Order: sequence, then C-alpha cells, then structure tokens
Amino acid sequence: MNTSRLTRRSTLAAGLGLALTGCAGGSLSSGGGDSADSASQGWNEPTASLSGVTITFGGGAVNGPIDKVIAAFQKATGATVKRTAYPDPYEQSVLTKVATGDKPDLAAWQPTASELIALQAPTNLLTLDDAPWLSSLNPAVRDLSGLIGKTRYAALVTSPSVMGVYYNKSLFSQYGLTTPKNWADLVAAATTVKAAGGTPFFEAGAAQWPTQWWPQVQLAEAAKAGLWDRVNTNQEQFTGPTILGAITEYDDLVKQGLFNADIQTATFEQQADAVMTGGAAMVLQVDALLLQIQTTYSQAQIDDTLGWFPISKDGATATSIPDNKNGIVAFKTGDSKRQAAAKQFLNFWMTTYYSDFVSQAGVVSLKPDVPTPSTVPQVAKDSAASLADSVGSMQSLAIANPDLYINLANMLYGKVTPQQVAEATQNQFAQLAKAQGAKGF
Amino acid sequence: MTETTTAPRSRTGGTRSPAARAGRARTSSSYPTWMLVPAFAVLTVFFLLPSLLNFVYAFTDWSAFRAGFSFVGTDNFSSLLSDGTLLTSLRITLVWAVLVAFLQNFFGLVLALFLEGDGRINRTARTFFFVPVLLSPLAVGYIFQALLKPQGALNQILGALVGHDVSIAWLGSTTWTIVVVSLVQAWKWMGLSMLVFLAGLKTMPTDVLEAAKIDGASWWRTLRSVRFPLLAPAITFNVATALLGSMSGFDTVQATTTGGPAQTTQLLNIFIFRTFGQGLYAQATTMSLVLFLTVVVLAVPVITFLRRREDVL
Repeated sequence: MNTSRLTRRSTLAAGLGLALTGCAGGSLSSGGGDSADSASQGWNEPTASLSGVTITFGGGAVNGPIDKVIAAFQKATGATVKRTAYPDPYEQSVLTKVATGDKPDLAAWQPTASELIALQAPTNLLTLDDAPWLSSLNPAVRDLSGLIGKTRYAALVTSPSVMGVYYNKSLFSQYGLTTPKNWADLVAAATTVKAAGGTPFFEAGAAQWPTQWWPQVQLAEAAKAGLWDRVNTNQEQFTGPTILGAITEYDDLVKQGLFNADIQTATFEQQADAVMTGGAAMVLQVDALLLQIQTTYSQAQIDDTLGWFPISKDGATATSIPDNKNGIVAFKTGDSKRQAAAKQFLNFWMTTYYSDFVSQAGVVSLKPDVPTPSTVPQVAKDSAASLADSVGSMQSLAIANPDLYINLANMLYGKVTPQQVAEATQNQFAQLAKAQGAKGF
Repeated sequence: MTETTTAPRSRTGGTRSPAARAGRARTSSSYPTWMLVPAFAVLTVFFLLPSLLNFVYAFTDWSAFRAGFSFVGTDNFSSLLSDGTLLTSLRITLVWAVLVAFLQNFFGLVLALFLEGDGRINRTARTFFFVPVLLSPLAVGYIFQALLKPQGALNQILGALVGHDVSIAWLGSTTWTIVVVSLVQAWKWMGLSMLVFLAGLKTMPTDVLEAAKIDGASWWRTLRSVRFPLLAPAITFNVATALLGSMSGFDTVQATTTGGPAQTTQLLNIFIFRTFGQGLYAQATTMSLVLFLTVVVLAVPVITFLRRREDVL
C-alpha cells in the first residue's frame, strides 16, 4: 500500500512539474537570436564554400525550379540543403511548428505584412535590409512586398501575383467588345455577353478562395487613399460603406445572372478550362490561374486565346496579392553558421543563379538587366507590367487576414447577406488584430 | 531438520510470523503496482495534462502573434458566445452525432442479424464489411468526395439507370449534405457495430431462446421481445461510443466537405482547427473546453439511461 501511494504521488509530482515547464514555454522562441543576427550582418560571397553545413528549406513546389536552384547551390558551395514539405503553407502546421521552435532555415512564405506578422517576423526571421541584390531589382516591384513597415523580412523571388481579368480573345471579338477601362465598362461588357447568350464571368464557388478578388479589385482607389490604414486602426470597418459596397456589388452581379449557372459547385480547374475553351468570356483571378492553365495548354495556345487587363472601380489600377510562391524567408535559428548559409543561399539565387532560374522557371524577370524568357506567355508579362501602378490588396496592407473568402462563398449559397458577410469578416479581423495587440481594438 | 507442522494449509510451512505471511500472500496474488507506472506516465502526459491545461489556457490570450500570454478572465467565452458561430457549430455537431449514432448502429444491427449464421459466406461477408473500419478516415473522405461530385461515379451510375444525365450535387446542399456525410461515417464504422452486436447475439442464454421457440414465437417476435432487450449491453456500448465518439468527429468530414457548403457541415472540431490555424490558440482552446463540457453533460444522462435498460436483465 505504501509503495503504490508513493508511486502515485511521485508520478503526480512529475506530471505537475511538466505542467509548470509547459506554462513557461512562451520564452522558447526568443532565445539567443539577437546576438547571432548581429554577427551575421555581413553577406557571404554567393559561391563561398559551405562544406559540412546543412540547412533546411521548408515548403515550396517540389520537382520544380526550386529543386534546380538547390542542386546548383549544393554543387557550387558543397552545402547540403534538405527539403521539408509543408502540406499547405497557408495552413496551421507551419505557424505551430515555428511557435514551438521547430524552424527551418529557409521557407517559401507569402511575403505580405499580415502573413509575416503571423510568423512573428521580428522574433523569428532574419532581416534582409542590406541584401546585395536589392539595388539590381526593378524599383517598381522591389518594395512591393516582403516588408513590415520599413524592415524587409522576405526576399521577393518572382513577380508578385496580381488580380486581373483573364479573357477569351475570340469571344471578345465575337461580341465586339473592347478592353474595359473601369468597372462600369466591365459590367457593360458582361451585360452585352449575357444578352448575346454567352456566360460573362466564371466563378469557382466550390474552391471558395477566388471569390475574394471581386470585392478587393473594387477597393483599389480606396486603398490608395489609405483605406487599409484606417481599417488597421479600427477607424473604418468592413461594415463601412466602402467595403460593404464592394461586397454588395459582387452579390448584385451574381444575382443578375452574369456568372456561370454552376457557380456553387464549379472548381478551380473548371474555371481555367472555361476561359480557354470559350465556356465563359472572363475570369477575375490571380497568377495561379495561369499556372493552372499552363498544365494543359501550350504557350502558343495561351498567347492565341488569352488576354489580360487590370480593373478597378474608377479605372484600371491593378491590385497586387503576393502569394507563397513569390517570397522566401530566412529564420533566426540561433546558429550563426546556418543563418549565414541561408542568407548566402538567397544571395546565390538572386545574383549568380538568377538568369538561369528565370529561364528554367519560365517567369518574368524582376531585374531590368536580366531578360524575361521568350517562353513566358504574354499575359504574364502584361500582369507583371501592371505592377508599376498597382496598389496592395487586403493581404498586403491589412495587419490580419480574416476569412473573407469563406464568408463570400457562403453568400453565393444564399445563406448570408452582404451585410452579414461584412460583419463576420469584421469580427474575425477584430479578433486577430486584438490578439496582435493592435491599437484601437 | 524437517519437522512436521501442525499449522494446517500454510504455504510458507508455518515457521514464519503471521504478518510476514500476510504480506507475502497479498503481493504474490496481485501484480506489482510499479508495472502501472509507464502507462500511467503516458496517460498523464498525453491525456490528463492537456485536459488540465485546457482549463488553464481557455482563460488566457495565448496566440501565435505573441510570445507568452496573460490571463483575461472569461473574455474568450463571452466573445465566442456573442458571435453565434460556436453555438451553430455545436448544434451541427449534435445533429451529426445523433445521425451517426443512429445510422451506424442501425446498419450494424441489420448486418449482424443477416450475418448471424456461421457459414463460410457469412464469415467472408463479415470480413468485407469490417474492412472500411480499417481504412484511413481521410482516404474515405477523399474517395467519397470524388464519388459524390456532380460528375462523379454515383451520378454516372444513376444516370445510366435512369437513362438521362444526373448531376445531383450531393455535397452541395446546404440542408442535406449533413445527412450524406453522416451516411459516409456510418458506412465506415458499421462493421465495428456489427461485430459488437454479433458478440451480443451470440452470448445470449440459449435456454431463454429455446423457451421462446417452444412457445411458438416467430423470428420477428423473438427479436422484438426477447433478443433486443437482451442486447442491451451491446447497445449501451455501441450507442455510447458512436454518439460520444462522433461528438469529436473531424477527419472524414474535413476530407469530404471541409465544413462546407456554407459551413453547414462545420463540426466543432473543424471550426477549432480553423481557429487554431489562424493563430488564435486561446479561442481554440476555449472551444475545445466547451466541447469537452458538452460531451460530459451529454454522456451522463445517455449512459445512465442505457445502463438502466440493462438492469432489466
């Protein structure tokens, strides 16, 4: 009896001890980072020897250009780069891993301020303010993304994704349409298509995430006038007339029948097919649509069939939405050798290897002196060119990322009104802003 | 030198003191308690500790955006309850759990009754019906998502039967998709219910059944009045585990509908998953706590009622 009571007591004590250490766990992430960062202020030469150093790269598309960069880097420096897969970089596991201290050395990450804040950039990421390649980047896109305030945390490796209208050129000439110059033109063009019996717009309601572009493109002028600054300090809400008006406009367009009949169940893949085969005249989407189209269509077909134009409420100002293929971040791991190696990897990618990367990946070049390959479709070049006069999206300019797209998708099912969409989004935004300790919430 | 002992039946030979005899007799008839320690340690760390911490973190502002946290009292509870989404999710989870408990056990009972005999066909069929239990829930979800698409296999089969194109959006109805995913879950687990019911059917006292037969009761009458009441222990186990286990359902629904369409199949665990993913750890913990308390509140009357049915026996 005495032995078992002792056993029980000691196990309980062990359990309580573990509980207390768990409570103190918050300080894990802040250990030793600062001294290591100041020590690695300098940047290594891109091809300096790194034999014996192993760094990890998290996320990013596999069997693609990133693997080629890694292979070239390993060959040039003797370093070993291990890849870890993140099933979905927008999902939870990465934030949780980082919060518990399981950080890779590098990761593909959406370089918007809200996503960098979610990663606790000041605590977890290395700053890249003095990166050697910055001066050779196109000034129009250099500071578009990757920054929180004035501090740079993410390296931009490909042209930031842009919201715009992909249209079927032969349908446009069939219906006698010219490129719309503002929102009213766009709706007029859609009405013409509908009157002639066609499907003006194609939306992928089942995928849900494309719905958010519709309100967002309408906010470009307001964003330029500081809309998101006011939202970030709770001086304006999603339920205010600007954003609610944009959501209601989207709802009205759907109710007018300007979208595909199967809007609720249509998938992203169907959306890509529709605009290429002429099933619909226009699709409002981001660069990801082109990537999807490129899986089934050749560059010649894309250049023949597809056109692109930006659109906004009062004009044609593009809204940029950098995604997780555009940015790479480097983590403060506390190991100065690995941190230097991670920065060297970025340097190698953006200087020594950049022109090879651009031609292998078939992407628009970010540097004026490195030409864009001829294999890049015209629509990609058009959307990259629109960045010069673009404005940031909600993801870029707001401090938090509410599930606007989920609420909009619910609206497509007729389950909620635009007012309720705005309220739900504002509630989520306020919750996230409060958790960050933002002023005004 | 041996001596014949007069103390009868003492295993130790009668030369030991009574206290020592008693101590040795007790420890030799049960296993040493220290063998429980590893299992108890694992249980403490991975079950008791998180459950306790659940109560602690629900009252803090723990999130992904800050290292460390502070206590905020019942803020999380009041904001969650005023939002309305928590209660909606809870209602959906309850509907789901009740549907699964009913459907899974109904199918399980029907299967058990069909496959009661011990012939080779029955035994093979039992194995086949048990296979879905062993499948990964995510795999089941993805497969059914493909089968139930508007252009999926089910609609194609129906179209072939009916003669024209069928494209019912099985996973696109805001009213009925919850029933569809309940059916998927019931299909997955009915093999287990079947096994438990079979065990219950086969361990019934044969004299009662013979008496019913002699009295001229039909198969259906025997089932209704004799066998079903005697199945009470099996029913207790099956209904309790199906109902309370389904309250924490997640994987199959997540893979099939991800909580859609329009959040009409958003089980509480899916909502928690989403909130946790946004970095709002304290709010997610609060929701977990609400789920925990709901299951406890639900379990007590359900199990009491089911156990009371067994008392008849």
